[in-house]
Amino acid sequence: MALIVAVAILVAALMVVLSQLGGAGGSSASSGDVGKLYSGIPQNGTTLGESSAPVTVYLYEDFQCPVCGQFSRETFPEMVDRSVRGGEVKVISEPLIFIGSDSVPAARAALAAGEQDRYWPYAQRLFENQGQENSGYVTDDFLTDQARNTPGLDVEEWSSDLKGSSVTQQLQAAQAKAQSAGVDATPTLIFSGPRGQTKLVGMQDYEQVSQAIAQVD
Amino acid sequence: MKGRRRGPRLVLGALSVAGLLISAYLTWIHYMGVAPICVGGSGGCETVQTSSYATILGVPVAVVGLMGYSGLLFSASLRGAAGVYLGFLVALVGTFFSAYLTYLEVFVIHAICEWCVASAAVMVAALLCAALGVWHLAKENQAVER
Repeated sequence: MALIVAVAILVAALMVVLSQLGGAGGSSASSGDVGKLYSGIPQNGTTLGESSAPVTVYLYEDFQCPVCGQFSRETFPEMVDRSVRGGEVKVISEPLIFIGSDSVPAARAALAAGEQDRYWPYAQRLFENQGQENSGYVTDDFLTDQARNTPGLDVEEWSSDLKGSSVTQQLQAAQAKAQSAGVDATPTLIFSGPRGQTKLVGMQDYEQVSQAIAQVD
Repeated sequence: MKGRRRGPRLVLGALSVAGLLISAYLTWIHYMGVAPICVGGSGGCETVQTSSYATILGVPVAVVGLMGYSGLLFSASLRGAAGVYLGFLVALVGTFFSAYLTYLEVFVIHAICEWCVASAAVMVAALLCAALGVWHLAKENQAVER
C-alpha cells in the first residue's frame, strides 16, 4: 500500500513539473500565452476590464503600426497585469486605418473577433505576427490563421461576422471618434477618470502609463 | 487469485465512463477550437481551457484525463487484486493531479471550469470507491490468514 501511495505521489509530482514547464511558456504569443494574459479579465467587444473601473483608457492603434506593435508587446502585458486585472482600469481599443489599405482588413478581422468577445487575444496575435507595413502580409490566409489560433474563437462565426455591417459600423465609428478627439498618430492613449483626461502619444513604458493613470484617477 | 466484489467494480466502471465522457468532450472542444458549454456562460471554462496550463508538453490535459479514465475503466474490468491495486493507483494519481489543477484554477488562472470541477469530483469518488476495494481486499486477506 505504501508503495502504491509513493508511486502515485511520484507520478503526480512529475505531471505537475511537466505542467509547470508548459505554464512558464515562451515569449511568443502561443494560444496558451494569449489565454493566460487575459485570463479572468472581462472582455466585451473592444473593451477589456471591469465595466465599473474608475479609469478608462482609449487606445487608438493601427494593426500595421510598428510602434503600436512594440507597445502591445512590451508595455501592454504589464499594464494588463498591474492596472486592468485588479479592476482599476478598463481599456477600449479604437482600431484605426491610417497606414494603408492593409490596415482595413486587419481592423475588420479584430472587430469580427470582438463580436465573440475575443477582440483582445486576436489583436495580440495580429501584433505578435506583424509584418512590414503595406507589404501585403495581411492576406485572408494570414487573418484566418490568426483566427484559428485565437483561443475560444469560433472561426466560422468570425468569418461570417467579418463581412457583416456591424463591423463596418464599428470601424467607421472608431475613425469618427479619433477625428473628434484630435487623434492623428498611433498609438494614442487617452486616459479618462474622475480627475479629468490626459493623453499620451507614441511608445510609452509602464511607468509613463502608470503616471497618466494616477493623474486622472 | 481472490475474487473481487462486483459492487465497487461496477461503481468504478460507471465513474470511469462518466470521466471518459467529460474528458472526451473537453478534448473535442480543444481540437475544434470552440467554446465549451457551461452553466452561467462559458467564460471560466474558456479561460481555463485556453490557459497555458491546458496542455502538458503539447498534450491537452483533457487527453491526459482520457488516458487516466481509460486506465480506471481497465482496472474495473479486471478481477482480482491486480485490478484493485491498479484502480487505487490510477485514482490516487488522478486525485493528486486534479487537486493541483483545481489549485491552478483558483489561485493562478483565477477562473473555474465546471467541467474540470466535475471531473475532479468524479476522480475523488473513484478514489473512495477504489479505496473501498482495497479495504475489502485487505479484510479478505486477513480472513484467509486466520
